[in-house]
Amino acid sequence: MDPLSAALKIAGSGLEVQSTRLRIVSENIANARSTGDTPGADPYRRKTLTFGAQLDRASGAEMVGVKKLGEDQGKFTEEYDPNNPAANAKGYVKMPNVNMLVEMADMREANRSYDANLQTIKQARDLISSTIDLLKSSS
Amino acid sequence: MQPIQLFALASRQAEWLQVRQQVVTGNIANANTPKYHAKDVSPFQAVLDNSDVGMARTNPAHFSGSEYGDDNDIRVEEAPLNQEVGVQESGNTVGLEEELSKTGDIQREYGLNTALVSSFHRMMLMVVKR
Repeated sequence: MDPLSAALKIAGSGLEVQSTRLRIVSENIANARSTGDTPGADPYRRKTLTFGAQLDRASGAEMVGVKKLGEDQGKFTEEYDPNNPAANAKGYVKMPNVNMLVEMADMREANRSYDANLQTIKQARDLISSTIDLLKSSS
Repeated sequence: MQPIQLFALASRQAEWLQVRQQVVTGNIANANTPKYHAKDVSPFQAVLDNSDVGMARTNPAHFSGSEYGDDNDIRVEEAPLNQEVGVQESGNTVGLEEELSKTGDIQREYGLNTALVSSFHRMMLMVVKR
């Protein structure tokens, strides 16, 4: 495979993992207040993901992929809310271990990486079209 | 007198630039991958100088410049550590800004390359059309 098509493919894999990352971030933010529904039940557990470099055997290109989707094993915080269906005997409710600040920072970083990948796609496209323009101008 | 091998040289450089673009894209895609080390290609000067000592590829998964024959020896190697970024907490050494500026360089050089080729081509046509 020629290097520019490989570059497009790699950048595509980059876009894919970063959008998966954004999806995870929005799942976490959307569920930041999702408690359990029986007394003392565990609430939503924050999701995490890790990336890994993957060698594409067909083109020898170093792509990127989601390596593992996991769960944050951090502790839940407890809030006093006796009227909540998930409240335990003492009236405390377990809240998800989602930290908004962390999620926001993660979102910004995913955004930035997505932009960088898009930039390389544009770039590869420009290189291809300037090669094609060689044919156009020499008529 | 040796004819000027301009087109050969130009396509060589174009290929080198394309491989470099691929490598830089790989770096950017892996900008958040733990333990990933930034890569770069050997400089074009080196590619021109030693056109006879290439490493044999015994497995298609090994890195090579590209799949066009074995006469090219564009080698992918680990990039020197970017001192401003250093090794990040995750063991990653990609500096996004540096990679983006590399893509800018590639774009400019590629533009120069294609412009030169087309102008030489025009010159040849001028001669032929007389």
